[in-house]
Amino acid sequence: MTRRPSPPDDFEQLALEHLSSLLAVATRLTRNGAEAEDLVQDTLVKAFRAREQFTPGTNMRAWMLRILTNTFINRYRRGGLERAVLDGPDADPLADGWVSSSSMAALRDPETTALRPVLEREIGEALRELPEEFRLAVVLADVEELSYKEIADVMGCPVGTVMSRLHRGRRMLKSRLYEHALEMGIVGPEKVVGHEPASTNTVDLAQYRARRVKVG
Amino acid sequence: MSPCRRMLPLLDAFGDGELSADQSLQVEQHLVDCGHCTERIRLNEAVRVSMKRAAPVPSAAFKARLCAALAAERQREEHPSERIGRPLSWRTIAPIAVAASVALAFAAARPKPDTMGAVAGAARASLMGHSPSSSSMQSNAASVTATVEQLIDELVTHHQQGSHPNVTEAALLEQLEPEVGVPVRLPSLYGARWEGASVLPVKAMRNQRAASLRYSVGGHRVTLYVYNSANVPLRATLEPRVVYNTPVYVGERRGYSIAAVERRGVGYAVATDLNDSESAELVVASLH
Ligand SMILES: [Zn+2]
Repeated sequence: MTRRPSPPDDFEQLALEHLSSLLAVATRLTRNGAEAEDLVQDTLVKAFRAREQFTPGTNMRAWMLRILTNTFINRYRRGGLERAVLDGPDADPLADGWVSSSSMAALRDPETTALRPVLEREIGEALRELPEEFRLAVVLADVEELSYKEIADVMGCPVGTVMSRLHRGRRMLKSRLYEHALEMGIVGPEKVVGHEPASTNTVDLAQYRARRVKVG
Repeated sequence: MSPCRRMLPLLDAFGDGELSADQSLQVEQHLVDCGHCTERIRLNEAVRVSMKRAAPVPSAAFKARLCAALAAERQREEHPSERIGRPLSWRTIAPIAVAASVALAFAAARPKPDTMGAVAGAARASLMGHSPSSSSMQSNAASVTATVEQLIDELVTHHQQGSHPNVTEAALLEQLEPEVGVPVRLPSLYGARWEGASVLPVKAMRNQRAASLRYSVGGHRVTLYVYNSANVPLRATLEPRVVYNTPVYVGERRGYSIAAVERRGVGYAVATDLNDSESAELVVASLH
């Protein structure tokens, strides 16, 4: 009786070397620590079962991130949301020049250090509100610093799709951050001057926020 | 088109280091003159940095849980026919038992062991739409029922005895996870006071372990069991019911009520001397 050579016994050890990466990504994808740990455990068990499909010498982290991505998408896909977002308002106060340089500086560098955790939490929450595909793209690029090509491989989509998901995902994050900073008074509406005539700014911003409320 | 408008689509890829040398140069030249786009780049970078921050370090307990899960997978692979020998394999038998429990609704009284076999077999037969073709499958379903009853009996006895919990700090709960094989959190049960936790080897389930969390509410003892629901098919002989849109499996044994729910592979069961609706509400609360 012939047997396939049994897979290396150190698979577990090799896989666990990527634990920090998997947990960092899972933490940003899910709502809490327990969900993140569940997602990582599922990923490792699936990787173990599929370990003969892994080609030694290739990028194991990317391979495991692909399993994690598929598990995450299958489990958490909410459906229809991506479409709602794509159909939603296209206005971007940051990109469209409504927001002054000084306001942007205030966003990234709150004068009161006490505000930093608040803003960081806001980014975390905004991230969790993104549709799964957008969130995945942003997390893989920013947390794991994968290249566009690697993200495309992991997510199983063209590089162009990765780029548009990244762009839209980040834009939504920054909009949310900006909205929050406005509410907290870190930036003031009076600072909102840009490349367009000042008289129309207030109107546009009000419209933008009204539309945002309807969607959000 | 203003220079900024032309630059905007490139700024993300610039920050990601994905532009060609040519395009990077264009962006860099623009940034020299344009404070606004410089600020945009800085904001992108700040968002990226804050996203990377707060990445958790995997805890020792979590690593132990993963090692246990992988070891179990390897063992499952190496001994695929384990179920032929020893009493029963819960992984394979549980679905049959669960199917049977849909038709069975004996919650109030514990049936005598010799009638249970017949009931379970008949229930299974009616689910399958024909008479049992295999007597061994029939007796399997029966012994599942019997063993789950034995398991419930163990839990009720454990709850009744109220043995002293050996973990009394919530922060230490995760140390139970490697033994139990599933996440152990501390749910607040309508403000019930938590008294402590311990690990309970369940004899009826070949010493599969459950975490037991002891609470006190209005002078009543409440024990919440947390376990791997794939290995401990508690609901197999309990009565299904819907509470707050959640399927709950409820029963009464020896004057105690038992209510069980499952979510994503984790089973939660509550044992109390309260009535069965109250136990059901408590166990649903344990999900939140
Ligand atoms: Zn510019």
